[in-house]
Amino acid sequence: MRFLRRFLTRLANSAARRTQEERLREEIEGHIALQTAENLRAGLSPIEARRQAMLKFGGVEAMKQDYRAERGLLFIENLLGDLRNAGRTIRRMPGLAAVIIVSLAIGIGVNTTIFSWIQVVLFEPMPAVRGAANFLMVEPRAENGGYTGASWLEYHDLQSQVPALRDIVASQMVAFNVGETGRTERTHGQLVSGNYFSALGLKPAIGRFIRPEEAERPGTELVVVISYDYWQTRFRGAPGAVGQKLRVNERELIVVGVAPKDFQGTMVPLKFELWVPATMAPALLGGTRDLEDRSIRAFSLIGMLRPGATREEAQAEFSAAMAQLARDYPEASAGIGGEILPFWDAPRGPQRFLISGLAILQGVMLLLLLAVCGNTANLMLARGSTRQREMAVRVALGAGRWRIVSLVLSENMLLAFLGGGLGAAIAVWGTTALRVAPMIGAFPILFPTRVDEFTLAFAMLLGAACGLIFSAAPAVHLARLDPQEGLRSSSNTPPRGRVRKVLMGVEVGLAMVVLIAAALFLESFRSARQTDPRFRPEGVLLAAYDLSGRNPDEASEREFAARLLERLRSLPDVEAAAIATNVPVDLHGIPRRSFTVQGRVRTEAGQDRAISNTVTPGYFKVMGIPLLEGNDFAEMRDKTAPAQAIVNEEFVRHYLNGEDAIGRRIQRRPGSFAIIGVAGNSVYDAFGEPAQPAMYFSYRDLPEEQGEIHLRTRSGKETALTSEARAVLRDLDPMLPLYDVRTFSQHIERNLYLRRIPARMFAVLGPLLLGLAAIGIYAVVSYAVARRTREIGVRLAFGATSGRVVLQIIRENLGAITGGTAIGWVLALVISVRVMTKGGVNLPVFLGVPAILLGVATLACWIPARRASRIDPMAALRHE
Amino acid sequence: MMVLKTLDVLGPQHGYGIARRIEQISGDLLAVNQGTLYPVLLKLEQEGAIASEWGASENNRKARFYRLTREGRKQLQAETKDWEQTAAIIARFFDAKAEDLP
Repeated sequence: MRFLRRFLTRLANSAARRTQEERLREEIEGHIALQTAENLRAGLSPIEARRQAMLKFGGVEAMKQDYRAERGLLFIENLLGDLRNAGRTIRRMPGLAAVIIVSLAIGIGVNTTIFSWIQVVLFEPMPAVRGAANFLMVEPRAENGGYTGASWLEYHDLQSQVPALRDIVASQMVAFNVGETGRTERTHGQLVSGNYFSALGLKPAIGRFIRPEEAERPGTELVVVISYDYWQTRFRGAPGAVGQKLRVNERELIVVGVAPKDFQGTMVPLKFELWVPATMAPALLGGTRDLEDRSIRAFSLIGMLRPGATREEAQAEFSAAMAQLARDYPEASAGIGGEILPFWDAPRGPQRFLISGLAILQGVMLLLLLAVCGNTANLMLARGSTRQREMAVRVALGAGRWRIVSLVLSENMLLAFLGGGLGAAIAVWGTTALRVAPMIGAFPILFPTRVDEFTLAFAMLLGAACGLIFSAAPAVHLARLDPQEGLRSSSNTPPRGRVRKVLMGVEVGLAMVVLIAAALFLESFRSARQTDPRFRPEGVLLAAYDLSGRNPDEASEREFAARLLERLRSLPDVEAAAIATNVPVDLHGIPRRSFTVQGRVRTEAGQDRAISNTVTPGYFKVMGIPLLEGNDFAEMRDKTAPAQAIVNEEFVRHYLNGEDAIGRRIQRRPGSFAIIGVAGNSVYDAFGEPAQPAMYFSYRDLPEEQGEIHLRTRSGKETALTSEARAVLRDLDPMLPLYDVRTFSQHIERNLYLRRIPARMFAVLGPLLLGLAAIGIYAVVSYAVARRTREIGVRLAFGATSGRVVLQIIRENLGAITGGTAIGWVLALVISVRVMTKGGVNLPVFLGVPAILLGVATLACWIPARRASRIDPMAALRHE
Repeated sequence: MMVLKTLDVLGPQHGYGIARRIEQISGDLLAVNQGTLYPVLLKLEQEGAIASEWGASENNRKARFYRLTREGRKQLQAETKDWEQTAAIIARFFDAKAEDLP
């Protein structure tokens, strides 16, 4: 208490300095006058009386110091003084300070942006849902490693059989056609279990959510919850939206509530607008058997751990439950186990890929920041040695070691925090830029990244860490200074800057590692892009249609596809046309189906699975996939031919040991299919993937409500076909929207978008880092040169040519640079051999990058060296 | 404490007065530099044990007078008690003779 009071008063006194000083002076005067008077009375002469009084009082100045120390807070006053001083120092070197602050800001900004992203993916995977990171994915998993999803009935069984999980929530993503016929709009939503909103702990913005009982009985509860954005755009945020009717897949649903702001569903970064009870599935999706058929595994499950339960318990219970289900329903569940996964490790969606990519990126960025720190340390050290004299004077005048260190620290910390502040601003901008992500495939995607107090704290922490790192060396260097030494040696006899050179070498080495990593990354990305997909995406237009909601039967689906193809093929510009259920290189993957094939006996339990795509005749022609053996599928209206299948080379190799495939039969639900042809392997999921076994079935045998129209143009201008294709579809059915129209190249680009982000960042960063290294070298060399002006002047005066001087300076500095480059090179080589197992050492990268780096480094040395060599010797010698 | 006691006994005093008083009482044994008194006064004032205001000294000079506050008085009492206890204990140690020990 007493201490606090004293502290506060002292703090106040620090502010009101002058009046206090005045008071003390008067008091001392008064004191001495009284003592003098006393001495006079004792009979001393006036002069002697005053002298005695002064003697008795003691050292006035020393006492004043004590008094001041007692009165204010010396520490804070010193700090403020240091900061004022630092501000002045920085103002005296605006160019240098700007370079330091900007490079720090870039480093910190980029790091903070990535951090905010990682933070969102790891800790706040679902916007608007509190504690979303505590949710776990409950994923049934087939033996072949595919995550199958759960069926509705399975979901109900699991709810009671995994007591370690509190509420298991089921959801299925669906594309709805919303609006009046003829003006329908594709809108994405989720079919959800009754506990969806309550388990997520959400509160409606207005209205109410789906009640648990509304997701029990099939098909009677015509309710829908809409997203906040949807409410704002479609209903202009009017409270009257609740109770209104919304026509979804030709059913009238009543809007009962609006989800809270920012909530975008449980499959982030996918963004959903509508939530409908899962029990509406049959009514909305043309009588689908989702709710009764255990083999339709359409739902994804998430659940939160009960307090006190562990993930291991949940996993054990879940595995046991799945094993029991496999025994009870061998037909649908044989060989399907299960995994409990953290949210960021979700098998669907980009989280898993993102996290690993982001972690690497963050590592690289931290290295970059370290390089920036090295730069700054170097600059500060160079500056520090020109300030030796100033510091020596300070020490000689009685400044303690700690005061010198704190002076240097405060200068650097001020720079660091300025950099951190600017970096945070860059991060704010960066995260906003990231939010504006394009559509991927047919689904709208929104990355819920944002900058919050954690991110800002992270930026500042980085700034502080940087400041400490780069001020350590100069501070120690200056504090060790012997004042006599410092004063005696003027700036014309420079000490050997070994520390600076080592730092420069380290920095160049770091730049080397990152540049090689960047180059390798770009190179691998480029080569992956350039690998032959084994189909021809050029000149192909893709567009989707969807008959679901019209409740078509198989015959009408087949007939629709047949008529559509006929009409499309009659267009003059169309070379070939086909319909398929799936498009390769889709972010969401191509489904795998279980089957048995004649001539293969599976020894272990479980089922064989292969990629499955259902296509119309003409598909292979459109895609440019060669048919190596046999024939294409029979025409759509052919009623005589038996059910057919075409397999790819890899299928034959893997499942049939390369034996003759034609004529064998594939068994899969719903029947038996005769293999009539073998197609070439092609890419299905990603460029550069190993060959995967695949089966193609015919639309004629397995008609579907949904289709992706593939059109190959004659002219090569596939986009020109868009309006014609739209007209054809409108002609056939005026109420059907043609959606997701894109060229095949666009389709590939969009789906590669996520993979491209890191590649792009590397492409930007590589040069940035090179620039930083160059700035670093330039700064160091130019400082060193500036401090040797006199020496250079002498050399020139004695007849050295400017060329020789330049050469000498470059040679001196290139030693450290080459050393750093060599170490970085070896490091990068080791890493690349360890990490990239396939495909040996990339020679162009490992030779080209050092060449470029050394070239730039030499240039960075050359510029200041050349400037120095142009000094007029007389001016240089007169200097000082 | 000596400062506090002085102020307690003499009432409001200026710095010089306090210094003189301490010297007198200690019989000039404690003839420290009088200047060191001022930081102590300041500390006490900042702690709230004493308060100060300008006034006129005996020979009509402007001087700063220090007086004890209520808090200072309490502090003095507490410290007096502490001191007496300590002194008593020390005294007992000096009085104790070898044969007194059990």
